[in-house]
Amino acid sequence: MMDKLYLIARIADTRVALRSRAINSVVTVGTPVEVPAAPPHVAGLFALRSRVFTLIDPHVVIGLPAVPVAPGQRVIVVDVAEHGYALLADEIEDVCFIDAAETRIAGKLLPGWARVADAMIEHQGSSLLVVDPSNFITLPALKAA
Amino acid sequence: MVEPQFLGRTGIAMDDLLNDFLAETAEILAEAGGAIVAWEADPADRAQLDAIFRLVHTIKGSSGFLALPRVTALSHAAEDALDQVRRGNRPANATLVTGVLGILDRLGDLCTALSQNGVEPAGDDRDVIGALAGDIPEDAPFEVAGVPLRRDDDFSAELQSWRSIRVPLPLLDSVMTGVTDIVLARNEFARMLRESGADLSVIASFDRLSDSIAGMRQSVSQMRMQRIDKLFAPLPRIVRDLAKDMGKKIAFQTSGGEVELDREMMENIRDPLIHIVRNAIDHGIEPLEDRVAAGKDITATISVSARQSGNQIEIEVRDDGRGLSPDALTAKAIASRLLTATEARALAPKDKLDLIFRPGFSTAAKITSVSGRGVGMDIVKANVEKIGGIVELRNEEGRGLAILLRVPMTLTIISGLMVRAAGQYFAIPRGAVREILLENGDTVRIDQLGGGELATVRGEQFPLLRLENILGRERDEADDSDDRALVIVRPGQGQSYALSVAAIHDHEELVIKPAAPMIMATGLYAGTTLPDNGRPVLLLDVQGLLATAAIDASETGRSHDRMAEAEAEAAAARNAVQLLLFRDMNNRVRGVRLSVIERVEEVPAKALFESAGRVQAQIGDDIFPVHASALPGGEGTLKLLRLYDGRSVLCYPIAEVIDIVRLPDAVQPSAAPGLIAGVVLVGGDPVELIDPFWLMEQYAAGAPALRRPLCRLADDHDGWGGNFLAPILRNAGYRVVMVGDASDEAPDVLLCLTEEGEPCGHVDGDVPVIRLRTSIAAAGPEDATVYRYDRQALLDALRRQVGGESA
Repeated sequence: MMDKLYLIARIADTRVALRSRAINSVVTVGTPVEVPAAPPHVAGLFALRSRVFTLIDPHVVIGLPAVPVAPGQRVIVVDVAEHGYALLADEIEDVCFIDAAETRIAGKLLPGWARVADAMIEHQGSSLLVVDPSNFITLPALKAA
Repeated sequence: MVEPQFLGRTGIAMDDLLNDFLAETAEILAEAGGAIVAWEADPADRAQLDAIFRLVHTIKGSSGFLALPRVTALSHAAEDALDQVRRGNRPANATLVTGVLGILDRLGDLCTALSQNGVEPAGDDRDVIGALAGDIPEDAPFEVAGVPLRRDDDFSAELQSWRSIRVPLPLLDSVMTGVTDIVLARNEFARMLRESGADLSVIASFDRLSDSIAGMRQSVSQMRMQRIDKLFAPLPRIVRDLAKDMGKKIAFQTSGGEVELDREMMENIRDPLIHIVRNAIDHGIEPLEDRVAAGKDITATISVSARQSGNQIEIEVRDDGRGLSPDALTAKAIASRLLTATEARALAPKDKLDLIFRPGFSTAAKITSVSGRGVGMDIVKANVEKIGGIVELRNEEGRGLAILLRVPMTLTIISGLMVRAAGQYFAIPRGAVREILLENGDTVRIDQLGGGELATVRGEQFPLLRLENILGRERDEADDSDDRALVIVRPGQGQSYALSVAAIHDHEELVIKPAAPMIMATGLYAGTTLPDNGRPVLLLDVQGLLATAAIDASETGRSHDRMAEAEAEAAAARNAVQLLLFRDMNNRVRGVRLSVIERVEEVPAKALFESAGRVQAQIGDDIFPVHASALPGGEGTLKLLRLYDGRSVLCYPIAEVIDIVRLPDAVQPSAAPGLIAGVVLVGGDPVELIDPFWLMEQYAAGAPALRRPLCRLADDHDGWGGNFLAPILRNAGYRVVMVGDASDEAPDVLLCLTEEGEPCGHVDGDVPVIRLRTSIAAAGPEDATVYRYDRQALLDALRRQVGGESA
């Protein structure tokens, strides 16, 4: 059942359906603490209760310029390999149950999206990219270099 | 209450029980192995035998409950044999000990299989049981060169305190996380209380709550701690078996087993420690004939000791074997193509020793079954450094080697220094910080050298790294350049550098957690932490900073440039007068001219003591007077301002440093001379100005001169000089060495205890000589000797020659 649950959000200027299995929660952040010399998609650190999370800017992962973090911005908290991350989201729409099946991506995507998107899904009359949040955590090697 | 019959082999409760059993048995086996070897060395030790019996009995009891027939049979056989010994029906001999150890090994194998498969493997244990029960030949008790492994009372005390329960680590971690949350909430609440102007009774009861939270946090962090005894437990067994295999006689000792260490940390040093001990047996200890030839005792000694020193735990493995030979090491390194002969020639003796830490280096001429397992000292070093520790070698060629592991107290909670750079805070592990200085202080000089920077602190040179540059950030314009501080960092053995930061904030006990992999990959950070204000802070990797800056921070070969330092001091003196603002122990804001402060020292409260009616502080090897009427009580650390007048040092305890400001021109002087020279207005608030002149005057007589003259005693044949004279000289402020003591320093005066009429054989150029005579009467008016019991005349003579202090 959980497999069919998606978080619909606008990330890096694109509406996507995030597989909810890896998602921990959606919270708002204050001003993050910068991490000098970190890879460009690391937007900083912030604390949620006693845990420290690494803030990821999906724009950079997709290949777009970084966006500044606005105080009170909503982020999607995910756990990947025992570390806590938070993805900056432009907008959180809804968590919903999508009965349709994931389909193979038709058409050509930007290289950045082609790397992170796993599939497509039909939802309320529009097609959404299905993305596993953990795909945003790592930068492609050529970008990190 | 769980009834045993409900525990099916597949039940979840069963798995828990089995896991508990395995963990407990692994601990017992390690402990029993050590105890048996100790008991073998002293079979008459009834308490030890009883302890082993109880351990084996525990395994038997638990295994019966879990229906593990092989484990039960094995432990029963061992228990039975030990019981025979207890009843006096069977002698304790090598057969028995080897038999019991064989059973323990088999039990260990079974447990490994159990943990992998969850079921006891089928098999036959008649061989080991037979070996134990078998023939009881009346051979002479096996002579093992063993010495009591630990004091008996120590051991029995441990058994009594062995009552414990098992808690899953995640539960422990969640308790710790919970407490951290509580602390954060408390801080938030405390801030709100202060702002709301709540009445005193509310604040008082909140303070009580706050104290108990602090206490709880303390206890929770102790929950992760474990006695280091557990780490030492398997060592006696390893030493015994290896020594037997290699035909060496080794006495093994441990001490300091009561020192506590973080459990996770313990896991990280277990293998390095075992490796070092194996190495000592294999390579360090010579074969018997070599020991005889070297005039050493046939029985070699290996000792493992632990002690706590500040925020670190020191574990030392010392042997009295052949030590390391720098030349042999170099030759070996050249042979294995680790370096070229040219490179080798350039190495300092210490660097030659450090060759053993190079990957691919093995000191043994041939790889033996013992040490040649592909684990080298490089792995040991890497493992220890991974947890923030360092490995040190203390080598005495031909006489032995001591390897010192220094590890931070815990992996999770460290004392960190908070610094600011580029407008944000960073933490530096306090253990790596040697000293903190203000960048524009009088003792610091900074030179630009071909694009690099060099800091000279009291004649010692350090490569200077600016934190902003390493992090690739601009300096924050809001930072006051007067706040810039140098942190002298010692990331590892024989390395140091000066890290320039925008400001020093304070220091805190920090719970360190690993950062996300891409952040760790920068090599600049060792983790993240959440201080009390709830904003994450990155912990700097002091070794990684060096690597990123690509700077050679090795201390060897750095020159000491006292002339230049004097120049720098003169230049600094021309600068404007600055005032250090601080809060004293009574919470008053006071100020003192920055130029008289040598530095701010942070010492444990224990370093202060009372002697001859005065409070004194021990800092390093020196003792300084402290301006305090009574010992400040309590635990923890204390900040001391070090006032330095060019000759002597006085410590002034303070609660915290507030700021450094320009000394205002208008000073309202005090009516009478005293501690307070006057009052100035700083930012509209009155600040009492300390009078360093008056303060130093109060303590001048008692303050030791920093450079204490060196007396060398010559011809002290009967020990009178060492036993009678040296203490008096030391009291009077001299340092004393004997002729023949290793000392690089030229003495300031030579005291000859030569018999009358004989020439003093140790006169050396222009060192002044004072001769002592044993007879009270002088030989004549020309006699320049001093009667050896005439204290005043002796001290006068010394003062004439070198100008030391008289008591």
